[in-house]
Amino acid sequence: MMADYASDLAKTRNDIAALELISQRDGRDPEKRVRLAYRQFHCASLTANECDFKAVQQTIADILRDFGPDEDVCLLKASLDGHFHRLEDVKRDLRMCPPLGSRHAGRSVLADVDFEEGRYGEARAALETLLDEKPTWDNLARLAHWKGKMGHPDEADALYAEAEDELSAKEMRSFAWLELQRGTLAVSRGRYRMAQMHYRRAASSFPGDWRTDEHVVKLLAAEGNLDAALTLLRNVVARAPKPELQQALGELLDQMGRTEEARPWLETAAAAFLASVQEGGVHYYHHLVHLYAGMRGREADAVKWARKDVILRTNFATQSALAWALFQNGEVAEALEWIRRALSSGVQDSGIFAIASSLFQAAGDATQGEQCARAATEINPLAHGFHVHH
Amino acid sequence: MADHNDPNAVNSIFSDIDYSAADLYDLFGFPTNDGRTALLALTFSATPKAGELDSDMLYRLLVTSQPRVTFPQHDDVSLETILGYFDAVKDKYLGEFKPSEIRVTVQSDQRVMVKFIGFPCGDFSTIVEVDKVTPIRTPDGQTIQAFIGGRDDAFFNDLTGFFRSINYAPQFYHVPHTMTEARELPIPKTFLELEGNDLFNFRPNFPTWGFLQKDGTTPKLELPPGPWEWKGDKFSKDADGNYRFVYDGSDCRAGQNCNAIILELPHSFITTDTALNRIVNCWGESWVLKAAHKVESIPDDQSWLSHPWRAIREAELDEELRKYKLVDTDGQPFADAALSEREDDRQVGANNFLLGPHFVRRLAHLGWGFGPSISALGLQTSFNHDNSPVSVYRTYDTAITAFPRVQKTLFQRLNMPDDSWNPKGLNIPLRRPFEIFVPNACALDIDTTGTWPFGRRLEDQVATRFLAMFLDMSAELNGKKYHLDMLGDPALWASVPIVPKTPPNPLKNDKEFLPDFPYLAEPWPVTY
Repeated sequence: MMADYASDLAKTRNDIAALELISQRDGRDPEKRVRLAYRQFHCASLTANECDFKAVQQTIADILRDFGPDEDVCLLKASLDGHFHRLEDVKRDLRMCPPLGSRHAGRSVLADVDFEEGRYGEARAALETLLDEKPTWDNLARLAHWKGKMGHPDEADALYAEAEDELSAKEMRSFAWLELQRGTLAVSRGRYRMAQMHYRRAASSFPGDWRTDEHVVKLLAAEGNLDAALTLLRNVVARAPKPELQQALGELLDQMGRTEEARPWLETAAAAFLASVQEGGVHYYHHLVHLYAGMRGREADAVKWARKDVILRTNFATQSALAWALFQNGEVAEALEWIRRALSSGVQDSGIFAIASSLFQAAGDATQGEQCARAATEINPLAHGFHVHH
Repeated sequence: MADHNDPNAVNSIFSDIDYSAADLYDLFGFPTNDGRTALLALTFSATPKAGELDSDMLYRLLVTSQPRVTFPQHDDVSLETILGYFDAVKDKYLGEFKPSEIRVTVQSDQRVMVKFIGFPCGDFSTIVEVDKVTPIRTPDGQTIQAFIGGRDDAFFNDLTGFFRSINYAPQFYHVPHTMTEARELPIPKTFLELEGNDLFNFRPNFPTWGFLQKDGTTPKLELPPGPWEWKGDKFSKDADGNYRFVYDGSDCRAGQNCNAIILELPHSFITTDTALNRIVNCWGESWVLKAAHKVESIPDDQSWLSHPWRAIREAELDEELRKYKLVDTDGQPFADAALSEREDDRQVGANNFLLGPHFVRRLAHLGWGFGPSISALGLQTSFNHDNSPVSVYRTYDTAITAFPRVQKTLFQRLNMPDDSWNPKGLNIPLRRPFEIFVPNACALDIDTTGTWPFGRRLEDQVATRFLAMFLDMSAELNGKKYHLDMLGDPALWASVPIVPKTPPNPLKNDKEFLPDFPYLAEPWPVTY
């Protein structure tokens, strides 16, 4: 029988309930407590619900308080902190158990940090070493991501396929996730039919997952099928009321000229982003950048959040986002500096080249502007119109 | 990482390791019906439950029948000889050697597809119901008895004692999955408790420590911070001068079930030359469907159903196997757990010849623990430990340095307790450890009873017999040569200074075996 989203979630919640009961009866069994944390993480990964993530964080904090730094828990905490862009915390988590940083799983997480902090060469070298030691599917996927971003889409796709080959029928959710990555890669290259095929495979391997529909929305929008994208996105938002999806819905409505309808969605999303920031969260910075960069009169706010994000994670994504925000705010000279830094990474992303093209054109460098526009088109000949920021 | 590339968010990493239908337990093989048939039984985890098989799995039993061959250089016991033997086995297994195969896959309706491939009468298949004895007619008119389903687990063993003897920390401590160096802790392995070994010695105030409980839990302690070491210099003794045995003879698998593939095959079905080919080699494998092929949802080939005798083209079968991943293998008991340290990348099945040098090193490592334990009890050991008064922690980087220590252990013929194993009184040489474990196959001798190491019978206490490899088989006790069942004799333990006075492992299974096919006992009504 094929595992599906609903049954996986139900089983996970049952496991959590049973483990919570055991932990309440006798909290002295660290194995059960650690297992509870991992099951909670699994649940949160399924739902992407803030409350579920807070539950994991609380369980981890309790375990650390009661038992001290356990390697499995520190690794989980590092993964969780990485998910929320807390890169300094990731490094601290791994330092809590010094041997962890030299272990396979710990080094994989550190390779993620290298990539997020713009040490692309180091990230690739670390991943290649890790894969030489043991070709795990998750590190194959990490290297595929690297290759995809750096202009080797075919190599990236082959690595994703190799990662899939490592997975058994007991890991269908991971398989679906890899299919979504392959679809995203195909979309970034304008290979929409290929993307459709991957998304269909994702849907059939882990049915009912809202993430798959979320990806389909992006594809529909990229294809210019905005009505279908809107219908599906409304459905996704109803199933997973995440602020970033609400933002996407608002932006899509705005793109379709339904500005009044868009406004409450964008306001709700902004409120949630700001509330998260208020609580110390940093993972919504880039959403705030994109939200405000497109909002007349709020461009300076976009620059503010972009500067915070680039301090946190200096990479081509944050650099180009800052460049875009500065450009929208009329600060073309500094914007040019940041886009040059982004391009110097070697990234091959049509969106970043499109930003660069606009910037160079605005700065009067038509030659550079045209070069960047050509590069954007070469990477994705079909890139135009709506783009879901995510 | 983050929202862009976060495989760990969909990767349970670990701490979520569940029982798996791919976990093979044992392979039994012994002749039945006066050697006209061979009973093969592959047991594995009862997942999802006894009598219900996992439809993502594929199981293989690989079978070949060959003449009984006597190792030619019987007086030459050098490292070169044994490495040459491993090479010869390698050439055989990587050469034209092609075993026949019984392939089992589960249909979604809990019926089982059984394919017979490469047997002399040609390839064919049939479908059998789970939990039901089914006679299968072969194309050449013979009958195979088949049972596939839930049974009582036929393994009876003091697993906790074994883990205590090799300092296997995860049985006794909460060991994070990342801490691979904290599996077998670096202190001497031993049969007898070491004085001051606070890491593993029995704790009277915590008798359940390391033992699986009825509710499925195993009481454990927090792993103390390293370094994990033992600084003593002697075995522990109580006030009466008794050593403390690390075993207590518990049956750690009592009351638990397994799933099993049990087949009784006519010898003449396996080979056309039954007179010549008196050895039946067998090993088992578990394979799990790859995710990519689950998505494709391979339709059942209806030709299997409508034409059960239809021949299978080999290419098609290879195509089938390519959709699965090899997970576990089983041939000889303890070949994985004791000699290959259960490392996943060493799951190579019968083709374990490449591990030959590792086998020599590992045996020497074990010998430094078990040899002095045996000597301390006043018994003779086959392991050369230079009269060490206590177990020693020692590892080897090369087979060359390890070999002199284990030369006798590897090459000595393992005496049987009496002649009942050889009912026809034939000139069958006693087996030697290196022949038993490389290749990792159950080699049942049709002319014997099939008791280990001439096969493996259900009632064989193989764990205790494995330990007996470290006895010096040229020595005598009470006028009788040491033998494989000596450590299972309660009278021996009553006579040596040790507590508890028990053989290391239970002497029999918790449930009586059946006199007839399928031989393994009915499953327990409830398992945990």
